[in-house]
This record gives sequence, structure tokens and C-alpha cells, in this order.
Amino acid sequence: MSNAFVLHADERGYDKILSTGATAAYAGGHPDAFITRCSSFNFGDYQDGRPGFGRIRVFGDEAFYHPGCSYNMHPHHNFIICAFVLEGKLTHINTLGQIDELGPGDYYAFSAGSGGLHEELNRHQEPMRAIYLWLLPDRLLLPPSYERGHFDATAGLNRISALVGDQAGTLTIPQDAGVSRLVSNTPGTFRYRPRSAGHGVYAFVIDGMVRCDGTTLKRRDSKAVWGADEIIYETHAGDTDVLLVETII
Amino acid sequence: MTDDALKRWICLGCGFSYDEAMGLSAHGLTPGTRWRDIPEDWVCPDCGTPKSRFEMVEIPYAAGQPAAQVAA
Repeated sequence: MSNAFVLHADERGYDKILSTGATAAYAGGHPDAFITRCSSFNFGDYQDGRPGFGRIRVFGDEAFYHPGCSYNMHPHHNFIICAFVLEGKLTHINTLGQIDELGPGDYYAFSAGSGGLHEELNRHQEPMRAIYLWLLPDRLLLPPSYERGHFDATAGLNRISALVGDQAGTLTIPQDAGVSRLVSNTPGTFRYRPRSAGHGVYAFVIDGMVRCDGTTLKRRDSKAVWGADEIIYETHAGDTDVLLVETII
Repeated sequence: MTDDALKRWICLGCGFSYDEAMGLSAHGLTPGTRWRDIPEDWVCPDCGTPKSRFEMVEIPYAAGQPAAQVAA
């Protein structure tokens, strides 16, 4: 028997993090700079929601406004942090020696392992929007790693494309989890088969609308399903963009 | 694993891990210090997240670990 929960866009946690005042050490940039973060799961001061799903602990729908807007350099251990850039440009700097600028369609997986620091920065006037995903690792204190990839929405149109996981061409992470993206501009039925009954899929609608096992999900809505042999996503005639995170439960 | 086994906890703000078996000597926590014996006002040495926002985890170590984890 399968289980599910639905999370509507306006049911998520919301933070506006200023680059001035009490949060100035955390968020940097021009005095007007600020970050908005919609959290699907408990994170930081938002503790009224679910603690996570499977190995997912953070799912942040974030925007960085005004030049220099950043999470200042700060430390991590253990978590696998992935960012999927939707709009604008993200400069990612980490202590593995990477200074990387990522644009729409680009994504990275940074496994903090035994320790690493990173900064997330928008250097431009145009807002930077990204999805931040944190997963628990399958081993503590692994050697840190960083990889980046690119999702080509044209080549990936009207199918489910694997971005992170153990399939060819994806970014590998130390966890029984993966990320795919479904981009569609035509009515279609997409069948997703989780790798076992012990896996679940968290589907987040970046844009457009999708029906997931009969539930209509609009922009920034999400639905998790676990214990199912198959999950059916139905797209409509308009543009649809869905991020699918599969995880062992 | 019995309930008395030494456990590991992970900070949900940054991922810093605390292992009861290892303690955190730089912060005055000797090896074997139980999570329940750490003061409630203790915070993550790396990011300041309160003790209440740590999660007990049963995740094994990577090969060659644990070396003493050094706070950033």
C-alpha cells in the first residue's frame, strides 16, 4: 500500500534573510540585498513542518536579490548539498578549491563529508533563483567532493531526465537517492517506478502544473509518495517543470 | 545495538556530527559523554544551532574514520 503527503506552496516555511542587522554575518551583500527561502521541511527557525522525507532534510526554494547577495563562507560536515539553478547566476565558492559560476539548468552536488566551507553568491543585479537540496549521507566524514552538471531542457523535453544518482551521466552522491527532472510542453503520462517499495519520491513543481497520482499540483506545490510500485505524473498542454527526488525511506 | 550503545548525533543546521564515544575534548566533552548529559543550552560549535535541532543518526563511518572531527 502506498502512502503520500501533499504540501501546497503556501504551506511551506518562509524566511526573508537580510544582509543587515542581526543576520549580516550570515547573509552578505549590498545593504539592500536579501535572500528569500521557502522551506518544504523544518530548517532553521522554521520548525512547524515535517522534519524531512527519507534522507532529505532540507528542500529550499530560494532567491538572492541584489549584487553581492550571499550566504557568507560557512562550514559544513556530512550533508550532501545540491543546488539547481533556475534563474540568474550563482557563484559557488568552496574549500575544495572551486570557484564556479552556474546559470539556469546548471546544478552541483557538494558532499561536505569530513568538512568543507562554501559561499553561495549572486554577483549580479538579476535575482538568482535556485533549489537547494540537502541529503544525509550513507557514511559519516567521507572525503569531501564537488561535481557540477547541466540539464538541457531542450534535449530533455517531454521525458524524465536523471540528474543525480547512479545512472550514466548523472552526478554521483554517497546516498541511495537520486534527482530527476520532468520538463514537458504537451499532455503526457509519465510513469516513474521507484527502485523498491522502500523508496519514495518527492515531486516539486518548479513551474506549470502536473497531476500526480490524481492530485493536481500547481507551481511550487509538492507531493511525496512512498511504498508505490509506480507513480504516475500527467502533464498538460502548457509548460511544466518538475523536480523529482527519489530517496530510500 | 542496545539502547545503551553510544550514539551519534548530527546538526541539522550544518551537518556537524557528535559521537558520544569520542566526545569533543576541545569543547570540554570527554569521550563517553552522553548526549543527554550535555547541557540543553549547548549549541553546535560550528554554526550555533541549538542542541534541540540535532538528530540522532545510525550512519556508519567512512573508511578510515572517525579521526577526531575538528570544528571549523
